[in-house]
Amino acid sequence: MMRAKILIWAVTAALVFLVFGLLNLEVIQGRRYQELGNKNCVRLVSQNGSRGRILDYAGNVIVDNELSYDLMILSQDAIQQEKIILNASRILGKSVKDLKSAYKSNYISSSVPVTLARNIGAKDAISLAELKVDLPAIIVQPNPLRHYPYGKLAAHLLGYVSEIDRWRLTKLEDYGYKTKDIVGFGGVEEKYDYYLRQEEGGLSFEVDHRGRFIRTLGFQPPLNGKDIQLSLGIKIQKIAEDALSERRGAVVIMDPCTGEIFAMASSPGFNPAVFTEKDNARISEIFDNSNSSLVNRAISFTYPAGSVFKVVVAAAALENKKINQNTSFLCQGSALIGKGEFKCWSTHGVQNLLAALTHSCNVFFYKTGLLTGAQAIHDYALRFGFSKKSSFELPYESPGFIPSPIWRKINKFKSWFDGDTANLSIGQGDVLVTPLQVTRMMAVFANGGYLVTPYIVKSIGGRDISLYQEKSEKLNLKKETIDFIKEGLRSVVSGSTGTGNVLAGLSVSVAGKTGTAQAPPGQPHAWFSGFFPYKNPKFVICVFLEHGGPGYISCVTAKQIIEEMINQGLV
Amino acid sequence: MRNSFFIILIIALLICSLGVLSIYSSTYQKEGKLWQTIFQRQILWIILGLLLFSIVSNMSYRRFWDWSYFLYCASLFCLFLVFILGTTRLGAQRWLRTGWFNFQPSELAKITMIIFLARYFSRKAVDDYNLLSSKFGIFRGLALPFFFTALPAALIIEQPDLGSGIIIFILFIAMLYLTNVKLRYIIILLLVISLPLPFMWHFLRDYQRDRLLVFLNPNIDPLGAGYTVIQSKIAIGSGWLWGKGWLSGTQSQLHFLPESHTDFIFATFSEEWGFLGSFVLLFLYYLLIRQGFLIAQRTHDAFGRLLAYGITLMLAIQITVNVAMNLGLAPVVGIPLPLMSYGGSSIFVTFVALGILVNIDKMRAVF
Repeated sequence: MMRAKILIWAVTAALVFLVFGLLNLEVIQGRRYQELGNKNCVRLVSQNGSRGRILDYAGNVIVDNELSYDLMILSQDAIQQEKIILNASRILGKSVKDLKSAYKSNYISSSVPVTLARNIGAKDAISLAELKVDLPAIIVQPNPLRHYPYGKLAAHLLGYVSEIDRWRLTKLEDYGYKTKDIVGFGGVEEKYDYYLRQEEGGLSFEVDHRGRFIRTLGFQPPLNGKDIQLSLGIKIQKIAEDALSERRGAVVIMDPCTGEIFAMASSPGFNPAVFTEKDNARISEIFDNSNSSLVNRAISFTYPAGSVFKVVVAAAALENKKINQNTSFLCQGSALIGKGEFKCWSTHGVQNLLAALTHSCNVFFYKTGLLTGAQAIHDYALRFGFSKKSSFELPYESPGFIPSPIWRKINKFKSWFDGDTANLSIGQGDVLVTPLQVTRMMAVFANGGYLVTPYIVKSIGGRDISLYQEKSEKLNLKKETIDFIKEGLRSVVSGSTGTGNVLAGLSVSVAGKTGTAQAPPGQPHAWFSGFFPYKNPKFVICVFLEHGGPGYISCVTAKQIIEEMINQGLV
Repeated sequence: MRNSFFIILIIALLICSLGVLSIYSSTYQKEGKLWQTIFQRQILWIILGLLLFSIVSNMSYRRFWDWSYFLYCASLFCLFLVFILGTTRLGAQRWLRTGWFNFQPSELAKITMIIFLARYFSRKAVDDYNLLSSKFGIFRGLALPFFFTALPAALIIEQPDLGSGIIIFILFIAMLYLTNVKLRYIIILLLVISLPLPFMWHFLRDYQRDRLLVFLNPNIDPLGAGYTVIQSKIAIGSGWLWGKGWLSGTQSQLHFLPESHTDFIFATFSEEWGFLGSFVLLFLYYLLIRQGFLIAQRTHDAFGRLLAYGITLMLAIQITVNVAMNLGLAPVVGIPLPLMSYGGSSIFVTFVALGILVNIDKMRAVF
């Protein structure tokens, strides 16, 4: 019976073949089919916690969250779907056609709930949720959205939130970030996103082949993000921003001893709410305009320093003993250095250091600078924190730049001339600084010789971190140097011919230095940086107006700010 | 030889109880009173089937020799009746309503065809080992039996029940092969059948065409014709090594898998018992088939031997086709899994067939 044996073997082979088929399907490809099986019957509805709030030093909420509601439906039951759309169009006052097209465009797969409408008010949300008794496929999803009670206030500091972009996603994927996550852009929102970030929770449940609810499988409660408290005071911030109004510029107000930032205004600003509302027209307006309104001018843009830099030159000269308190030079309105004539803005006559600071005499500083030497000025500028980042915590800080002969030789293959030293001595030439760096430099004189690190976040999630944040470095300047320059800064304001005399009328004694930085084409940049009260400084201030005119304009703005602070009892 | 009686009985009962467990699991979450009683009905069919098994196993199979032409005519008659009175279910007219029981004549036709063919190719005399077929020419050896097979098969295919019809044809060819008909006749037959196959495409029903296309690529119509295959593969695949456990299968219980208690019961079982359970099940089937072949090899009587081979092959082909279809390795055809799938006709016919097997083994000692 050969034939019978062949047949028996054939049947056995068929059974073995089936076992291999089974092995392939259940064991080798098993994981994939398990996933498919779960997709079939497990539905996930995510629930968002709310992002951490941002508070000012007094606990006023600058950024919080508002609940908005999304209407979603499970997509498998066509009859329910029709009914839900009809009811929703009645409650929301939207046409059935709109809802249906929203359904079509938001449909991802049968296993994912489809979003029908976003940002529904609480009242409508409740009436929709009541329908759930009859139509279980309906899901009303609470959704915390960023809310800005003060509108534009401190927008640059805070940053905004939006959907994660590709660049950030590739960088942050390993930390659990996913596509469509809402993350911070710029400012505190970006820097402390990891803490502010809420943890998504959700409900998973089983459905049958028509998408009807069978049972709950699990619930993971969402976690809220941590609140962040800033050193910022909304009142001071408001005063600073109002003083700038629509002019381009920046104001920084800082504690000279600790480096706490009380206010940091940059103008023009933007309203971060635009990004949460997804108002595309207004968003592209912000990105497109030539004002660079998203940029924080206090830290991200660099400008020529102008006469405020003379303070650094004076300190370098005194420390190096190139001049003393009595050294005098004659100002005749200009000085001949090399082959060029370098101008002063007026003819000051014989000037010692005190008078030169008071009058901001260029000729005095040309000569002092030439005595001191460009390299020494450069080194002192670096000690005062220029030409490098201040390690301020917010992102996108610029280091600025201070030129030096060596740098010029190496990078530009050019020689350094005395004229370059003269330009450096009055903060012109290639000198580029940020308003925050100037504030920091001024704080050295206010606090008696310490270079502080500015910071803005005082506590995260109720945990005080200001001790970790406070970092200062002793500059080892002689006490006489600091005291003498301080005296000069005071006389800028108190002296009747001082450039900052406009500030003299205030009930608090101010000391500071003005600056008019040539920035052709257009008006010069107007600087004022100072501290008050003179005897026991509590605030360092820096007012910068981009192409704002002579330094006097900044003095006027600073006066407005300090006056308003006194009026509100903040000093 | 009571030996094979108990072996076959035990294996069959084991498979049947696994079947009842799976039927219970696949229906217990369904609403409606009818669904809740399905597993009880299956138990009833099994008990009646066991009754038939013990009757048939004690009744000399030689009687079928005498009855074979009558049985053949009776099943033809039933198939005709289906045309006239048949109940339409799931788009096909396959059932005869007989009071409390929906009878499926195509199941009956399978076993009667085996008896008929075994009778046709053998002699009544028990002591003559030789088959008639070696003396047959092309007409009596090929054309005539083909005609007798084609008649019920065509009726079944017209119901439409393509699967059962094709199984009868495969059985016919396998038995022809076993009866020492010259090999070239068989090749001629295969050629004659396969030549018009491309034209047969036009005679297929739409759903049958869909199923064939979907077999080649289930994803062309995932929610229509391909749905069952995809769901069945998901159900089996998600079982993994150990399975999800009894009553814990999601695909079958949440109604993703259609026909989860009849044709696709293997998927239901496999989802809940995993690869190991399915392997054990297939091994039980293998033991059953092996018993059948051993009995056939032991038998010297030509009619009995052919009958035993035919019955065993019928079981083997049905099992293979059904499991392959569950695994997505064969197109979806309405073939139940013997002893597992819900359905009285299938259970009865399978138990009768097993009864005949046992009886053949028993009578061997007599001759």
